[in-house]
Amino acid sequence: MFAFLKTWKALQARGIMGINRRNADYVLKYNDRRLYPGVDDKITTKERALAAGIHVPDLYGVISTEKQISRLGAFIDARDGFVIKPAQGAGGDGILVITDRFEDHYRTVSGSLLSRADLEHQISSILTGLYSLGGHRDRALIEYRVKPDPIFRAISYEGVPDIRIIVLMGYPVMAMLRLPTRQSGGKANLHQGAIGVGVDLATGITLQGTWLNKIIRKHPDTTHAVDGVQLPDWAGFMALAASCYELCGLGYIGVDLVLDEEKGPLILELNARPGLNIQIANDCGLAHRTEAVERHLAELAQNGASENAEERVRFTQSLFGHVGP
Amino acid sequence: MRSLNLHLKILIAVLVLLGAGITGYQIFVLGIPVSEDETDDLWNIDAKVAFIATPNVPVKVQMYVPPLAHDFVSLNESFISNNYGVNVNRIDGNRKVTWSARRASGNQTLYYRLVLTKRYSQDKPKVKGPVFRDSVPLDGPEKVAADALLAPIRQHSADVETFIGETIKRVNNLNDDNVKLLLGGDSSPVHKARVIDLLLSVAHVPLERVHTLRLVANMPQVPELWLRSFNGNDWLYFNPETGEQGLPADRLIWWTGDDNLVAVEGGKKVLVSFTLNNSEMNAIRLAKLTDENTDADFLEYSLYSLPLQTQQTFMIMVMIPIGVWVILILRNLIGLQTLGTFTPVLIALAFRETQLGYGIALFSLITALGLSLRSYLEHLKLQMLPRLSVVLTFVVVMIATISLLSHKLGLERGLSVALFPMVILTMTIERLSITWEERGGGYAMKVAAGTLLAASLAHILMSVPQMIYFVFTFPAVLLILVGFMLAMGRYRGYRLSELIRFKAFTQDNEAGA
Repeated sequence: MFAFLKTWKALQARGIMGINRRNADYVLKYNDRRLYPGVDDKITTKERALAAGIHVPDLYGVISTEKQISRLGAFIDARDGFVIKPAQGAGGDGILVITDRFEDHYRTVSGSLLSRADLEHQISSILTGLYSLGGHRDRALIEYRVKPDPIFRAISYEGVPDIRIIVLMGYPVMAMLRLPTRQSGGKANLHQGAIGVGVDLATGITLQGTWLNKIIRKHPDTTHAVDGVQLPDWAGFMALAASCYELCGLGYIGVDLVLDEEKGPLILELNARPGLNIQIANDCGLAHRTEAVERHLAELAQNGASENAEERVRFTQSLFGHVGP
Repeated sequence: MRSLNLHLKILIAVLVLLGAGITGYQIFVLGIPVSEDETDDLWNIDAKVAFIATPNVPVKVQMYVPPLAHDFVSLNESFISNNYGVNVNRIDGNRKVTWSARRASGNQTLYYRLVLTKRYSQDKPKVKGPVFRDSVPLDGPEKVAADALLAPIRQHSADVETFIGETIKRVNNLNDDNVKLLLGGDSSPVHKARVIDLLLSVAHVPLERVHTLRLVANMPQVPELWLRSFNGNDWLYFNPETGEQGLPADRLIWWTGDDNLVAVEGGKKVLVSFTLNNSEMNAIRLAKLTDENTDADFLEYSLYSLPLQTQQTFMIMVMIPIGVWVILILRNLIGLQTLGTFTPVLIALAFRETQLGYGIALFSLITALGLSLRSYLEHLKLQMLPRLSVVLTFVVVMIATISLLSHKLGLERGLSVALFPMVILTMTIERLSITWEERGGGYAMKVAAGTLLAASLAHILMSVPQMIYFVFTFPAVLLILVGFMLAMGRYRGYRLSELIRFKAFTQDNEAGA
């Protein structure tokens, strides 16, 4: 009991945010429920981003009824690689990544071969709502498969590494690089076994990593060091993340971005309830940073001022950046 | 945010105060017992009248029955007699039942049955009685003996009470020659009472015989004779043999006066025997039963005024918030992971049918079998709804098989699964299998174990009888519970699981320091 109290105090001193705190003080406070469909539905997010001129992976097609499954060929026949996703999926579930073809089969990112019937069954499952948040009917979207920048080859196992940035009222407060592992099956979700690596907000250089709530410095599959890697086009990532506030209107979000070798930084999806493992990856609590942003916002409100995305990025980079590796 | 917090605090305070206030009012003002263990004795008295009827003459049996003045409440009274007319009437504070028949022959048995309990109320009604009477004329040696006895009694007494007490003491001193003379060799209580009456009448002190029954179970009894006298305010009761004063609480006054208990015309060899037994009854139910006789208005607007069948449903229903509260604590304070939010509560309700250990075994067995079926169906690439239907049907068949097998093996418990909610099981299987595929077997097991743990805890808490009674009787405690839930709605602290999850931080700290 006493030990727990001690841990409690230590966590609080370091500004570690718990789920209850995140829900009560940030998610419920800054995220208006009416705006959730905008981020929960990836098709809506994509349409809005395109309208605002923000870079997202190309949309090949949307399937919303069983009948439309027969139109799958029209979307994928000319393409080797593509991704099938549930529009309202949660936690990366139900996503199928096809890298190329073999005969009349499709090769997934993990190397297994699927027939056309398998793809259609997957889409059918998506439509019935198997992967959607509330279990209700969903739509499937087929989109461009991101080809990860070669920089990640050494520290990633299959799949596409992505960058998660927590954004509070348009201020990016913490960033993390998520690296798929053999265990995560090519997916970049931490609870599935992917590695989270903290990223310095100012420079874009990676810090230590977290894997299954433990602190690590090497990728378990490639054994390359995950820290000290300079992410290319970091300014582009930060600008994209900061602009997401205007895009969706939600005050506290996790922005998932990828770096495509041809198209540069792209927004993959937005998350209205971003996870908390990013704190372990950065070896830093979220609460101190979010509180600092809230104080800054209160100051601005007093002066009747507001900042644009560029100024917001500069503010957080000056305050939270340049962390020693 | 601050005004919202204040709003919430006021709301919580109002709810808790309201809940505590109503519950306090029920307990302290209405006097509703706090636990079900508070029971009252319920007495079942059978008086059996047996006699031999004389053929060809009308039969008339008259027997005193308790007047039930104010100390006891009659819950049920019945006169069991074949072919006899029954008539009850009140005479001078006594009640008398008259059984009559045109003709009867042979052995006759009549029953009088009374179910009664002590009355709650403390206030005593005003009683009236005589304070003076004329003395019985005496002469000869009896007068001399009486005077000789009364002189020292007068000497040793101060008022009516002590006078009677002293008289009884003297009369019970059988070595006294005067007493011997008055008793005339018969020292039965009845005779003693007669002598006491005689002595007191000389002193103009009124006296009445009281015939009582002792409320004690399974003991053959005959009415016990007591004497009573009115002192202007109250009746004073005396035991004619010991001089003991005051009627013990377990005595029921059957009748007063000098007459015999039973009188038969047209019959002989009458014999009355009493059988008493008692049962305990919940004080609330008792109050409800005696509704007409007592002031049980407080039950008018409680759940107890519902029909019994509905009451039983509500007894389960009022416990659901308690189960939900357990889940709330387990999930938000401890951080236990469960399948779905309220699935554990539903499983806990299902455990009601099967009991805990058997329920867990059954749940695990059916879920395990269902999971293997589900993984087989996965290969067939079925759509969700048909697949769920197949699993559900399989669950039903499995439950039927288990019931049949356990019945053949003589395990009656197996039959209780009939109402084990199949839909809950099906959904559990479906969700568990999805979790298994996506998060791995280890995680699925963890979640399943968490669900079972939460369900078991909720079940255990939801089936504590004292708790069910308390919540059912004082539903206002649910308001307090809502207050707690509201407070939990803005709980910002860590979950117990997070203290373990983020342990990396503290270890790092210590290493650095």
